[in-house]
Amino acid sequence: MDDEQLTHDHKRAFAAGFSLLWRRQRVLWWIFVVNLVCGALGTAPAFLRLHHALSHSLAGQPLTKRFDLGMLGELLRLPDVSLWRYTTNSFLFAFVFFVFMLFVTGGVLETYGQDRRLTTGEFFAASGGFFWRFVRLLLLSIVPFVIVIMIYQALNKVAVRVGDRAIPDQVGIFLGWGATAVFLLLALWVRLWFDIAQVRAVAHNERRMWRNTWRAWRITWHDFGRLYGMYFAIALVAWITLVVGLVIWAELPATATGAVFVILELIMFAQVATRLWQLASATTWYQQHEEMIPVPVAEVETPPPQGVVEPAPIAEPELPPGDPGPELPPADA
Amino acid sequence: MRLRLGLGLTVIMLASTLLSAQRPFAPKVSGPLSQRVVAYQIDAKYDPPKHAVEATETLIYHNLTGQPLDTFPFHLYLNAFQPKSTWMHEAHRDGNFRTSSLAAWKPEDYGSNAVTSFQVVGMGDLTEQMKFISPDDGNPDDKTVFQVKLPRPVPPGQDVTFQIKFKAKFPEVIARTGYKRTFLLAGQWFPKVGVWWHGQWNCHQFHALTEFFADFGTFDVKVTLPKNYVIGATGVQVGDHDNGNGTKTVAFHAEDVHDFAWTADPNFKVLENQFVGSVGPVKIRLLTYDSHQREWEPYMYCILNSMKRFDDWYGPYPYAQLTVVDPPHGAGEAGGMEYPTFITGLSGWYIPKGYHLIDLVTEHEFGHQYWYGMVATNEFENAWLDEGINSYTEVKVLDSMYGENTSILNLLGAQLGERGLQRMNYLDAPDDDPLSRMSFQDMSMDSYDSISYGKAASMLISLEKIVGEQTLKKALHTYFMKYRFTHPTQEDFMRTVNEVAGQDLSWYWNQAVYGTQVLDYEVLRADSHPVNWWDANLKEKKGETEYETQVILHRKGDFVFPVDAVVRFDDGESTHERWDGKERWVRYVFRKKAQVESVQIDPGYQITLDRDYLNNSAVTESQHGAIHKIATYWLFLTQLLAQAASWLV
Repeated sequence: MDDEQLTHDHKRAFAAGFSLLWRRQRVLWWIFVVNLVCGALGTAPAFLRLHHALSHSLAGQPLTKRFDLGMLGELLRLPDVSLWRYTTNSFLFAFVFFVFMLFVTGGVLETYGQDRRLTTGEFFAASGGFFWRFVRLLLLSIVPFVIVIMIYQALNKVAVRVGDRAIPDQVGIFLGWGATAVFLLLALWVRLWFDIAQVRAVAHNERRMWRNTWRAWRITWHDFGRLYGMYFAIALVAWITLVVGLVIWAELPATATGAVFVILELIMFAQVATRLWQLASATTWYQQHEEMIPVPVAEVETPPPQGVVEPAPIAEPELPPGDPGPELPPADA
Repeated sequence: MRLRLGLGLTVIMLASTLLSAQRPFAPKVSGPLSQRVVAYQIDAKYDPPKHAVEATETLIYHNLTGQPLDTFPFHLYLNAFQPKSTWMHEAHRDGNFRTSSLAAWKPEDYGSNAVTSFQVVGMGDLTEQMKFISPDDGNPDDKTVFQVKLPRPVPPGQDVTFQIKFKAKFPEVIARTGYKRTFLLAGQWFPKVGVWWHGQWNCHQFHALTEFFADFGTFDVKVTLPKNYVIGATGVQVGDHDNGNGTKTVAFHAEDVHDFAWTADPNFKVLENQFVGSVGPVKIRLLTYDSHQREWEPYMYCILNSMKRFDDWYGPYPYAQLTVVDPPHGAGEAGGMEYPTFITGLSGWYIPKGYHLIDLVTEHEFGHQYWYGMVATNEFENAWLDEGINSYTEVKVLDSMYGENTSILNLLGAQLGERGLQRMNYLDAPDDDPLSRMSFQDMSMDSYDSISYGKAASMLISLEKIVGEQTLKKALHTYFMKYRFTHPTQEDFMRTVNEVAGQDLSWYWNQAVYGTQVLDYEVLRADSHPVNWWDANLKEKKGETEYETQVILHRKGDFVFPVDAVVRFDDGESTHERWDGKERWVRYVFRKKAQVESVQIDPGYQITLDRDYLNNSAVTESQHGAIHKIATYWLFLTQLLAQAASWLV
């Protein structure tokens, strides 16, 4: 396949991913609703506390008519209210959503892979079937993520050191931003790698996650530029929607709480959607390129003549550890 | 509207500009303005690679105590930046106030003052007589105060001349002094004699929480440093001599000040401007950096407006010059500090419009020219007299510049006013220490900060409710004019307010200054019931049925304070009640053809000492606006956090 064809396929995967996301939008809505519910459950105790403190007081007016940080500060500090305590609940439900996503990712990828509406039983069967495998993948992903964090810390340290010695403030600030950008780009790459690992695991019903991770690495690396470009483009959409949403939010009148709610939820919807778009695109790309995914050919070395009359037996080709054999489509594909 | 600085702002690169000798005062002022106890002449040589100064100091001390003196204590502040000093012990204990990371300090980061020779004219070399003392905590390793006993006393009315050779090594910027790259802020750098006050020497060790105290006098200081350095200092520049060996010697002169600080950096950009006040023009000299260009105009705007308001409200700034230092990045520890006629601000490459950080810091430090610089209270013992009064005037000045609710922040829909900021500070530790406690003995950094700044400012804002805003402004004006260039006490301040207000406010001072009582009033009950509640055939009809309304106000805290309450009814009428607040509670009963809608204590939010605003009102109809707004943001942030976490899956 030539470069032009690959670029075309890349665009196709990008668009096809969106198309798949759209066709299977039930998944998107469902996950968004769960995100919303987790958010609501994380917010509920703080809401009740606020209700108790403010529902029959005029002290909330500075927060209603404008957003007075002084009054917010009081709500956070006053021992009777002490909103800080309730942040724990938010963290708890953020973790619940995290576990939920870990659980359903198998079902989501199965839905995208088959591009049909799965029954509830099928969906949860796929979710459950891949849950522990994805837990193992998650644990494996810690290693590269930690490496990325270490790279970031090293770069940041350099940025701080160079910035500290420079006379203009900007040097340190820009270098710090550069370090953050590198961190985000590397983290995106790790995400891509492990997304491909997940897609591959579902496509091949792969059970050996070490081997799966290694193969996903090779696949990702083989077409890195295009795959990464696709992921980056979708991530860019996520960041742009976030920024645009916040700009709109900043322009809304202080009293327009309803409109603020809508805008913030649209932002959240866009964040969930773009993440699923990445998964859908990865699935589509994998299916389109399955036949061209590199299969390493084992090199057979013929031993040199030993000066023995007897012909030496031909050695069995020895596959490198974890080396994949020819990839077969799943039985039910 | 912001001042158009364009033409008025002149950017000058100082190379080897020779300045003609300047008077230290504004044109309409002539000295002496203070009882000049000290006259310092210092000749200092700065060695930038070593961040060190070698200097000779001649101090003429005028014995105006009315009694013979044979013992003299001196501060050596830079010795605080040694591992076993009292300052370091307290900073470590109380949470690194104004310091970055003490643990990361290396020996080369330490600061020090070493006196190599101590002679007294007519009495000989007394270097061997120098003895470190620790009057506050007895710490034998603290070397921030030394004492010398003279062979014979200095009679009252006579002078004594000390000739001191010393070396000062600056730490990397920490607590108001030090270097960062090529930048140096030389504060508290020379041996400084204590203050004879209330019949004894007042010469405290350097403490982590508190600042300084010194006598008024004159300063003639020469600093020799590399030619390419730009220098700024207390007072006015009176000489600039090229030594021909790559160095120059710059001379400064100041009168009626009690400290001398200077700064130097080859990378400084100098901006000059002029404020014309009631005593004539004052030169403003801003030492800043190219990379802070965006902030030059806000700086000048704040300085000019602050000077104008202080001049209008409290009294004239009598000096010829104000030097403002904008420290470089990484030197935040040098920012936000005051020395006579010399202040340091805080800025950066980018500060969003709507966040008045520069104004907050610059105005505050300029305010210290009044509340510390001229009204030279004892910062060791009563920090609230400089920090608290200054925080109060900061509220007044910044509110008048940027609006009451937006004087600190007006960004992305969020707002914060100065009084809100002071109140938040106060609420951190409202009853840990009384204002009257020796400030260096406060419980913690939080307490010092909360009490000396937030509580004192809130106490004065609340006092407006009793005496009126204009009366308090007049009282501060009177206090300034009466006590400038002296060392007043907190009693002097309170007495002045009493006199101007024409009332004895002891009941207030006893609680707010000498006590730790907490002020908290609440609406305990607000409800209406039909007068004919017993009538089985009663059908309530708005405007026709007569109701009895019960309102109970409750004093929850121990602080007694008169409060106003507004009672609003559903017919649109309202009534104001004033309660002296002395009893634990008070009941108000109203009979009218309307039901109570709301009751609010202190509707103008003037009693900022009130610890809890939430219980200051009661409303019969549920109020959901704030609840929904906060819940919406909380929900979004939780969702975003959840989504971010799930990205790892």
